[in-house]
Order: sequence, then C-alpha cells, then structure tokens
Amino acid sequence: MSKTVLVCCGTGCLANGSKKVAGAFRQLLAGTDHQVECVVKETGCNGFCENGPLVQILPDDITYYKVQVQDVGEIVEKTILAGAPVERLLYKNDAGQRVRSQQENPFYAPQMKVALRNIGKIEPSSVEDYMAHGGYRALKKALTMTGEEIVRELEASGLRGRGGAGFPTGTKWRSAMELERFPKYVACNGDEGDPGAFMDRSILEGDPHSVLEGMAICALAIRAEEGFLYIRDEYGLAVHNVQEAIAQAEARGILGEHILGSDRRLKLSVVRGGGAFVCGESTALMASVEGRVGEPRAKYIRSVQRGLWDCPTVLNNVETLANVPVILEHGGAEFAKLGTERSKGTKVFALVGKVKRTGLVEVPMGATLRHLIYDIGGGVKGNRPFKAVQTGGPSGGCIPADMLDLPVDFDTLKARGAMMGSGGMIVMDDRSCMVEVARYYIKFLSEESCGKCTPCREGLRHMLAILTDICEGRGQESDLELLEQLCDTLEDASLCALGKSAPNPVRTTLKYFRDEYEAHIKEHRCPAGVCTALTRFVINPDKCVGCGACQRACPAGVISGSGKKVPRVIDNTRCIVCGSCREACRFDAVEAKGRAGL
Amino acid sequence: MNITINGKTCTCEKGEFLLEVARRNGIPIPTLCHHPALAGQGSCRVCLVEVDEGRGPKIVVSCVYPIQRECTVETDSERVRRERGMVLALLRKRAPESRRIAGMCRLYGAPELPRLTPADTGKCILCGLCTRACTELSVGAISTVNRGVLKEIATPYHEPSTVCVGCGACANVCPTEAIPLTETAETRTIWGKTFQLVRCASCGRILGTREELELAAKRCGQEPETLCERCRKAATAQILADVYGD
Repeated sequence: MSKTVLVCCGTGCLANGSKKVAGAFRQLLAGTDHQVECVVKETGCNGFCENGPLVQILPDDITYYKVQVQDVGEIVEKTILAGAPVERLLYKNDAGQRVRSQQENPFYAPQMKVALRNIGKIEPSSVEDYMAHGGYRALKKALTMTGEEIVRELEASGLRGRGGAGFPTGTKWRSAMELERFPKYVACNGDEGDPGAFMDRSILEGDPHSVLEGMAICALAIRAEEGFLYIRDEYGLAVHNVQEAIAQAEARGILGEHILGSDRRLKLSVVRGGGAFVCGESTALMASVEGRVGEPRAKYIRSVQRGLWDCPTVLNNVETLANVPVILEHGGAEFAKLGTERSKGTKVFALVGKVKRTGLVEVPMGATLRHLIYDIGGGVKGNRPFKAVQTGGPSGGCIPADMLDLPVDFDTLKARGAMMGSGGMIVMDDRSCMVEVARYYIKFLSEESCGKCTPCREGLRHMLAILTDICEGRGQESDLELLEQLCDTLEDASLCALGKSAPNPVRTTLKYFRDEYEAHIKEHRCPAGVCTALTRFVINPDKCVGCGACQRACPAGVISGSGKKVPRVIDNTRCIVCGSCREACRFDAVEAKGRAGL
Repeated sequence: MNITINGKTCTCEKGEFLLEVARRNGIPIPTLCHHPALAGQGSCRVCLVEVDEGRGPKIVVSCVYPIQRECTVETDSERVRRERGMVLALLRKRAPESRRIAGMCRLYGAPELPRLTPADTGKCILCGLCTRACTELSVGAISTVNRGVLKEIATPYHEPSTVCVGCGACANVCPTEAIPLTETAETRTIWGKTFQLVRCASCGRILGTREELELAAKRCGQEPETLCERCRKAATAQILADVYGD
C-alpha cells in the first residue's frame, strides 16, 4: 500500500515552519520497514494560509491544519500506518464538527479550481509531477494545430485578461498573429503589486509549468520564439520556482530549441521586477524589461502592435496564462460553459481583511460578493456588521453592504465605479474608516505613481494632502467638491491606467460613504473611531461589566477603576487612542466619540 | 486623408501627430514638454484636445496622438478648457516661480485653487524635456530620479556629473528656465560643475566649453574647433578669394 503526504510549502506555510514539518515526515518515514510505502511532497500554496502549515494525506483524503513538527509522529502512527484521523488537527466547521476532507471544509467546498487546479497537489519543483497530472498535453495538442485554430479556441472560450482590464485574450492573440513583423514576443505579467493580493504569486510558486505551457501555446499561435516572465523581485520563491521550471522544461526538451521535438523553438527567461507598482502597467513593464526606466507611454498604439523593442508582443497575466492549457485541452466551448454571459471561466480572489476565513479562493465568474464573503469567508470577524469590501486593489473601489448580492465579473462592478481588478478583496467592518481607507490608497498611489504626467503626480499629491487634512480634523466644507474636481482631471487627463483609475478609491467612498466625510469635516468626529485626531474612546457604564480586559490591554495605563461590576473609566487627556481597549472588550462597552468638549 | 479641427478641414497623412497637423493649419495648441527636434512623450498634458472618431469624444494629448482615421477634433471645447486649466493650475502649484506658467494660467483661465499648497520653490515642472535632450544630443548626464511625488531631475547621486560636458542643451530646451546656468568671462557653471570656456581665436566670442568642443570634435573625427561660425566663414571666404582672386 502506498500513501502520499502533501505538505503545503507556499510562502505562508513556509513562514509557519512547513519545511521542518516536511523534513520531519521524511525522517520518520525513511529507512524503517513500514508496511506503508510513503511519498512526501512539498506542494504550492493551498490558499488557506492562516491555518497553515497544511498537511494532506492521500488516498485517505484527510487534511490537517496548523501542523507542527511535534505533531508529525502522531500523524505517522495514527493516520499513515493505521488510517485513523488525528481529531485535534482537523478543521472545525461552522457547526463545530471536525471534518476530514477538504471537500467538507466550508472554505474549500464551494470552490471550483481551474487556474489553481494543480496547486497543493503537485510538487512545483517536479516537471514529472506536472506531467503526471496532465501537464504539457495541451502543448502537444497545440503543436498539431495551426495558429488560427489555437486562436479560435481562445476566442470561443471567452477568456478575458485576469490582470484587471478584462481585454479578450483571443482578440489580443489574433492581433499579434496577424501581424507579419518579426521577431515577436510573448510576455507574462507577474508584477502583482496590489496590497493584499497574492493570486499570481501562488500560481507562479505552486504551478509554474502551467504558466510556461500557456506561454508556449501563445508563442506557437503568434509565431514568437522568445518570451519573458516579469516577476516582482519580492516574490523570491516564485522567481526561484519559475527559473527551475524553465531549466527542467528545457532539459527535457519541452521548451528550448525544439518544442517537444518539433522544429518550433521558444526561449523563455525571467526578468526580476525592480519593485515599482507601476511596472505592472504593460508599457512600463516593457520599458523595464528593455532596461529603461519603468514609465508608461501613451497607448494610442497598443502594445500588441508596438511592444518589446517596438515588436509585436502579447503580454498576459499569470492567471490568464494558467487557464490556457485547460482551454486547449478541453476546448474553448467547454470553458465558456463556466461563468457569466460576458465573463467566462473562474476567477481567483485573495479574500482578506476582517473576514473569518481568509485566503485564496477560486469560484466561477458571477458568484456574488455575499457568497464569497459569507459562505466561503464565513462572514465578518467577531460577527461585527459588514461595512464595505474593497475590490480591485488601489485602482478599485469600496462597495457597500447593499451591493453584496452583485455578481462579481468584469462588467457589473465597473458599472458601479469599482472594479474586479486582479482579484484582491479586502473586507471591512464598522470599525474601518472609509476616509482613512481612501487616504491609505491615495498615499500608496502617490508613492507608486511614476511621476511622469502632471495630473497623476501633482493631483495625487494634493488629494493626499486634502485627505490627510480631513483625517486630522483640518478638513473644509469645500474639500469634497475640490476632491471631485481633481478626480475628474486625473481620470480625463492622466497618461496611463494607473492615473486614470487612481481616483476610484476616493470616488467610491465619496459616493457611498459621504456621510463619513461630512462627519469628519463638520462634526470633527470619525464615526469608525480610527482617525486618532478626531476620536475619543468612552466606556459606556451601562454596558461595562468591570472585567478589566481593557485595562490589561491598555499600553498607556490610562484606564482606572477596579473590582467586578465596577465600570472602568478612560482618562482621555492621557489616552493615545490606539483602540486596544475597544478590541479587547467583549461587551461593546468602549464607544468611539468625537473629540468635541475635550 | 482629411480631418476636421475646430470645424476646419485639414489634410494629413495617416500616422501624423495631431499637434503637427493643427499647427500646420494655423490652429494653436499650447505645449510645454514638446520640442520639434525630440520625440514626444506626452508628459505635461497641456496639449490635450478632444477627439471624436465616431465613438464619442475622448481626451487625448495631441503631441503623441497619431491620426489613424477620419475624426473631428476640438482644441478649445469646454471640457478641454476645464482640464487644460486644471493641468496648468497644478503646474503652477509645482512651479510657483515660473513666469511662463503663470502667464499661461492667465491666458487659459486656470483656476486659482487657493486650498492647494504650492511646492516650496522652483520653476521645474518635471516635464523631462531636459533629460531627453541630454540623452539624445549630449551624454546622458541627467535623468529623472525617484518616482511619484518624490520625482526630480538630477545628476546621479546629486553629485557633479563625471560625464557632463556643460553644453547647456538641457537649459536651452527647458520650457520654464528652471536649470540654472551661470557664466563668467572664463567659466560656465551648470549642475554643480564649472567648465572652462573656449573663445573664438579670431573675434573672441564664446564657442562653448572645452569638453563640449572636444566631444563634438571626437564625434566628427576632427580637431576641436577654434573659430566661431562667422569667423570660420570669413576665413573660408578669404581662402577662396586668395585662390580665385581678382
């Protein structure tokens, strides 16, 4: 009998010591005469990082969470040798029951994995493992097809770019294919830089060959012989795994001088990003690959016509490319059965923020925000009221509670002023200040704007100054109109998509949470109790039970009172407004008030 | 092909930049980062206009907008005036000491925006024209440094450049006279470096810096120039007169 131990070695689990766990399994299982033959594999990210390290035992289909080295002995003894689960390491579902299989886990059960199909199942460092799971079959098929046939499959699939803009991939490939200028290039955009997003990192780390296969299929279709993967340098493991995968694919004759023994060639290489968010913009990325400063150019002529070194270039996002082998293998029509009318297939989201279960989730396009946040995510942490979800990264927007039943696809959110973007999804509860959220994103963008064009560079500087003023109690009533005026100019007159979409965080918060801005400006009060200059925490004596949790949490030692059932009192003159007391209180007794009268 | 600019029919070639076509037809469009000798970058955004190719009007910057199909263009519509005014107003906050920007703000009715704090000092609008001139015509001694709100134009590490030849091309193309270039009888100082000036051996007019003349000579494979253009012409005329005299 043989068993497989899959130890998650994605970045999150690695940080929690999964490498040592894998080592412990190998050590315990090697060299002894167990009746069970066992393979230990270090896989990519399973997406449920907050519960890592994850260990899955096959064929028993048992998944353990938060496994530490000291648990390994027990797992070997009970599960691997005797087939029985270690109850305490199983996931506890919402009803409090321990579940064995991932399919019983409410985080995984509603998901449908297409782009993430292999991640967690295969060893990213093994091309053999990828091929054992059907890898490079699509490339083999593509070699028997003409470019026209390949592009037709892509068009039939309805696949749209997963980087955020949602441009139809088939259309892009066709433009490049029909140009009779050589050389042509394929490129992969792995410069994922949205705060809180890690979809592409996970794919590059956990299943690098799927991206290489997608690029190779594209290269066959458009007749390119060279390609680049632009990966942000902070993604050390992704860079390493992709480089290793290219070397393996070349050594096995899959890529390189003769793609799978044919007379077609493809040379792929990794370009490490220079650490600028703007390099995720296509023309800035290409400038950076060429060795120039990562600044966008006006895209009146598309980069597919004038891309790398002014040659025809197809640039696709990591997740887009990971979908390509599936489309080729099963046909575009089959892929198009998933998703909505205009957004086909699945989408990977990084579900983070104030949500009970955070992680990487993949669902068919058109799933509602409610499904993502409440069914998969388990709802808001601490059962607090949901306030907003920020989608699409810094260029996205904040969507309020009454839109939770909107389907998530390329077009619906755009119509509401937000965007699905590359898949970042940050959940916020009633203790998130929407003015502060807007300020945070504008600060991020003002630092990450390339600074080439006037509206983006100067407009963001002034927007940040105004938003900071509002958060610190210096806001003026005319500020909101001025902010909207600046938003208009950025949208209309900026050079690239970064500047044109930069107003979104401000626009959507102004549209859906205008009352919060007004409370800051007119009443000098931050309703969420976040902006320290406008907040005073007060303990409601009717709610306080005198447990003293706030006192123990207070780093400044300014909460007085003692004894059970005696309400505590905060000395507001010495309070640093950190909010630790409010976090610590289980009775909602700590209330945020304005600083008026202090 | 024909396009319509402000109601006037203009003939142009496919791929020609909109700005060139407009100017050729006597239709003024303001620019700052544009220089006829250098490739356009579309960074200052002052030359923005409204173009309708049949799918509704959109804002484009005319200096780098290649005409692909028949279209109608408005260079002075309400939307153009509003956005151009805002761009100029933002540039005035960036370069409060620039008289040219102040003048353009008056001319195009830019809003005052008193709520916004101007940058401390300066005339530089960060258009990058100087860096392009230096890279393409001279030695690439300056470049844009940093990004976003911290962007500036500088020599590497803000130290006097080891490659700068003091040609002054950067100061020459700067639309807002933001690059200080000072000269004494014998020297020129720019970007924190002082150069020896060479004068015409005949009339004494300034020819340029020694390094600049050496670079030019090296590029043409000749000895450095010693005469100014006028004296060189006069000398050549004298030689011709001596040979073919009478």
